[in-house]
Amino acid sequence: MSPGVIRAYILKEFRELLRSRLILIVYILPTMIIILFGYGIRMEVTDARTLIIDNDNSTISRDLSARFEHSRYFDTRVTSGMGEQEALKRIKQAKVDILVIIPDSFEKRLLHGEKTEIGVFIDGAFPVRAATMQNYVKGVVYDAARSLTDKKPTNLITVNNRNLFNQAMRDEDAIVPGLIGLILLVAPAILSALLIVKEKEEGTIFNFYSSPIKKSEFIVAKLVPPLILHTVNIFILFLWATWLFEVPFRGSFLLYWAASQIYIVISLGVGLLVSIITRTQIVAIVLTIIITIIPGFLYSGMLMPISSMSGESKIEAHIYPVMYFNHIIYDTFLIGQGLDSPKNRLYLAILFFYAVFLILLGSRLMKKETA
Amino acid sequence: MAELEIRGVTVKHGGITAVKDASIYAERGEIIGLIGADGAGKSSLMHAAAGVIRFEGEIVFGGTSFDSPREAERLKPKIGLMPQGIGLVLYKNLTVSEHLSFFSKIRSLKEDAALNDYKQRLLKMAGLERFTERPAGKLSGGMMQKLSLICTLIHRPSLLILDEPTTGVDPLSRLELWKILEEISESEGTVTLMSTAYMQEAEKMDRVYLFDSGTIIASGTAEELNETVKEYVYEPVACRSDRCIAAGHYTYSLDPLEAPHKEPTLEALFFINALKRGVEIPEIEVSERESEEPIPQVVMEAKGLTKRFGDFVADDHIDMELKSGEILGLLGANGAGKTTFIKMLLGLYPIDDGELVLLGRPIRSAKDRQGLKARIGYVSQHFSLYKDMTVRENLLYFASMHGIDAKKASSRIDRYAKELGFASYMDSLPTELPLGINQRFSVAAALLHEPVVLFLDEPTSGVDAIARSQFWQMLKLLKRKWGIAILITTHYMSEAEYCDRVVLLKEGRKVADDSVENLYKKHPAAKSFEEIFLHYYEDGR
Amino acid sequence: MIGTFFALVAKELIGFFRSWGLVAVVLYSFTLDIYITGAGIEMQAKNIAVGYVDETGGGMSGKILSRLHMPEFQKPVMFTSREALSRSIYNREIMVGLIFESDFEKNLKKYGRSSIDMLLDSVAATQSFQALQYLQNILLGYAHIGIPVELKIHKLFNPNATTSQFMAMAEMLSVITLLGVILTAALFVREKENGTWDIMLLMPIDPKLIILAKSFSQVLIIMGGVVIATGIVLFGVFDVPINGSIAAFFLLSFFYAFTSAGIGLFVAAVSKSMLQVAQLSILIMMPLIFLSGAWTPIHAMHPLLQKLSLISPLRYYIEGSESIFFRGTDFTDLWSYFAGVIVLGSVLYFYGFRKIGRLF
Repeated sequence: MSPGVIRAYILKEFRELLRSRLILIVYILPTMIIILFGYGIRMEVTDARTLIIDNDNSTISRDLSARFEHSRYFDTRVTSGMGEQEALKRIKQAKVDILVIIPDSFEKRLLHGEKTEIGVFIDGAFPVRAATMQNYVKGVVYDAARSLTDKKPTNLITVNNRNLFNQAMRDEDAIVPGLIGLILLVAPAILSALLIVKEKEEGTIFNFYSSPIKKSEFIVAKLVPPLILHTVNIFILFLWATWLFEVPFRGSFLLYWAASQIYIVISLGVGLLVSIITRTQIVAIVLTIIITIIPGFLYSGMLMPISSMSGESKIEAHIYPVMYFNHIIYDTFLIGQGLDSPKNRLYLAILFFYAVFLILLGSRLMKKETA
Repeated sequence: MAELEIRGVTVKHGGITAVKDASIYAERGEIIGLIGADGAGKSSLMHAAAGVIRFEGEIVFGGTSFDSPREAERLKPKIGLMPQGIGLVLYKNLTVSEHLSFFSKIRSLKEDAALNDYKQRLLKMAGLERFTERPAGKLSGGMMQKLSLICTLIHRPSLLILDEPTTGVDPLSRLELWKILEEISESEGTVTLMSTAYMQEAEKMDRVYLFDSGTIIASGTAEELNETVKEYVYEPVACRSDRCIAAGHYTYSLDPLEAPHKEPTLEALFFINALKRGVEIPEIEVSERESEEPIPQVVMEAKGLTKRFGDFVADDHIDMELKSGEILGLLGANGAGKTTFIKMLLGLYPIDDGELVLLGRPIRSAKDRQGLKARIGYVSQHFSLYKDMTVRENLLYFASMHGIDAKKASSRIDRYAKELGFASYMDSLPTELPLGINQRFSVAAALLHEPVVLFLDEPTSGVDAIARSQFWQMLKLLKRKWGIAILITTHYMSEAEYCDRVVLLKEGRKVADDSVENLYKKHPAAKSFEEIFLHYYEDGR
Repeated sequence: MIGTFFALVAKELIGFFRSWGLVAVVLYSFTLDIYITGAGIEMQAKNIAVGYVDETGGGMSGKILSRLHMPEFQKPVMFTSREALSRSIYNREIMVGLIFESDFEKNLKKYGRSSIDMLLDSVAATQSFQALQYLQNILLGYAHIGIPVELKIHKLFNPNATTSQFMAMAEMLSVITLLGVILTAALFVREKENGTWDIMLLMPIDPKLIILAKSFSQVLIIMGGVVIATGIVLFGVFDVPINGSIAAFFLLSFFYAFTSAGIGLFVAAVSKSMLQVAQLSILIMMPLIFLSGAWTPIHAMHPLLQKLSLISPLRYYIEGSESIFFRGTDFTDLWSYFAGVIVLGSVLYFYGFRKIGRLF
């Protein structure tokens, strides 16, 4: 390999990237994704729009309403005298998430020690939220009820839970590290595929075909610019995660960096393979997105822990490199075992293997000739 | 043994044989021409010689033989390839000087004073020394081709392969390109393989190979080749058999005619070959217009039309008049403002200054144009038709855009197809057709609504001699039978002679506007129209 | 006029069906892609990996463990020491670790109450939270509390509460957006690149008609996809309920497809090449899809994003579709969604007409 040739090619790539403003995409896209997802995705339910119809209007019912009002989980409005049908319509119009109906003579029956019933209606269109809201409502009502009775419960088992890694159960901590994995998989692949396919589509690829430039030199020249540019993103994304989203960082920065760097190479390998089988830029972009985003999401552990997978999806998760990287990335942010853990060492080795394998496969399949 | 020997080379593209058993040889310093219709296999053979495509057979250059792209790697330092397509190998965002330095670096040339001198020499030869800081995307077509050429020459290749480097390039740039080429061949002993659509260029070459449907059917020097067809070439007379064809200033006939013989050019080769092979060259016909709508005397009148792109003035106060029954040739170098001018006339670019009257109506806003659209026909530079529809579907589509009812449209389309000679291609996709057929069928699309004025932007670039002659036949008939006005741009100066009047643009200004005869009178020394053209351009240089 | 319109539409449809690659991508997107998303993305905690250390010697602990079963939990794995359990959690093989201390059962018998130590991998916060709630509910079942209040909870609209149904629907809406924008933008930019657009502008037809007809052809393609996706994937595979009017949904989809084609028109108007189309589409579509409420209800977002989401037509479409499919909202109550989609669409077409549909 001749360093002079590679240097000239790389210089050319940088000039073109700058002048075609493609470089904007390199830096806008990752930041945009992390900010949009980071702020936009809230798994945790807060401020559920709650309508309480208090048909009793007694001390106890007002106390119960107040408990809803004081909880950050609910955004409560209390009214009385609204009909059930009218209230249900509000849910249909998507103006209310939860409807709580306190019957009249609620207090009276309670004081007489009689059973009483509170009606709750929950908008179940979005199932996860519905399940969570249901539990919140249960919690508030049972808490209130317990304080009313002096009977000691028996056979009660409580849970002393210690939340590991994400003590406050923050969505940001859960999602943002996974996003870094998603971005570092998608963005470098798109860029490297584009840089090669652009030359094919425009015809400048003939300069490579007809000159003595070696295949290896061409590949290095095409992959180094995205590698350098996206390496900067490793740091930018780290800053967004820790500074903007205040995700803790408990592990080794060096491990984070090294793993990300290897992961970018894997992504470049994917881009290289895409560029071999496509001829136009638009197809290259669409194909890259299709084959990276869905696995990038599914196997990131962002939504579902790998340990909860079974059957095919567990096998698939082990085939894509996504899982290995995300394991390490969550470790560096939230867990902090670093290279002391044999599993992290193994996964790092697997990533390295993937990187080498994909690049070698790409160089093998690329042809220095026109069809 | 010759410096370059191509022995029995066959190239296949996905099952289709593009070149079959082609053999070519060349000595040091020779310029070898490849001619033939579009799709005849020239490009494929050149790609094989440049080692960028797989092939069967053997190629030997300078004693080194190869039979695959992989084997050719050893020779690549010595080879320079310029593939077909204007500015194809250039990076639009890089400047001229950045190109030179990129190409010299990827060729691992030693950066020394000698290389620097050589670069300067190339820049000067290409007339690009004043534009070193301009991005390639902003150069005119001719400048792009010259830049591509000097980038291909930077490593002093001993085998230079140029695929139609002069198509779409104006005469002046073509001349400069040739100068560079001849100088290099002379001083470096370079072997050059070059395809071209300009027969005047082919005549300057050391040896010419004629391609037809993937095979080489004739070869030799221009004189040798002309000698073989001499007996069939006559002064223009009418034909009476299908073994004869009249084309422009010549008549070609396999049977003896009662007419004086005429000295042939290489174009004759195409016609005689077609006649001999019994290829039917359809006689172009045009029937009368169906519409009885009168045509105004003055179809277009422009006063001081001006178009600016930022600081750059593309068209600078141009006056022009176009009358009915007139073919007006708009000539000029690449980037002189011809296409911009036509686009202003059509309303595709806003007019920055000046007045325009079209078909008697002053044009001040888009509204003024609405009613005129039905009377204007336009064929753009690249025959813009839909590639995913067959010829018939394209034509029916355009007919319905013009609101022509289906029955009338069908009969008109069939008539055009027959008269303009593309009836047998009606159910093919445009991408499967030779350029010449595409060209005539694009014009048919522009004629469906029987316009009174036709704007044609470089309709003949890259089209072979037979198709071009048929094309002009069609234009002349349109003029005579329909009496419409035609504005056409072209880089073939021989075609200018078919025009009633020519307007010459230079750097956005009009420098001549006269009939061809008058121009010949003004320049008595000129032997061809090309010389007249060059005269205007060399002035003030 | 009408004839011309349909000639334009027919031409685009011919072109579409001739490019089999495109047909394949569209079919894939409307079937397999929606299926994969619906089947694959699960936000409800399921199949949770549980490990335990039991220092009691069975009894109550065994009873509790036997209640941890599918679909919520995998079969609990026994560990011999807390260290081993903890290591496994740190290696993220186990999500929930339960420790029954030696005096667990004794305390329960003696004092009527006892507690379990739980180590919870809370990286995936929502899932962990749900795991905790599952467990608490199970344990609550053993307690005799004697609360006099009974809760009667009705989960409306999606009583079986499967995420698949919701995700499949949301993904279909994203696919409509994606294809609506890209197909239309590509259509116009390809004409610009090939120079056919100039020819079209010179036809004696109002360019607005051409633009509308071309967009309409893409709307038809998308509506075809919507019918296939709704019929086969949503109803056929995932059994999505339809509580409102299916006609209302198709009508809303039709307008929305037009609006997303309008976004494509906008992209085409400001792009010069396919590369720019691709870049711009990504930059516009990402926020569009994630501000739509498909992943998080709008009112739970950052206030600034909430404001921004007002100009996302997908927001109105998703809320509207959710209401039609799940909530069964009356047609008359859907007007705001229709209005949102139509107003935004009109603005886009107004811009598109001015920018690429005129001569000078």
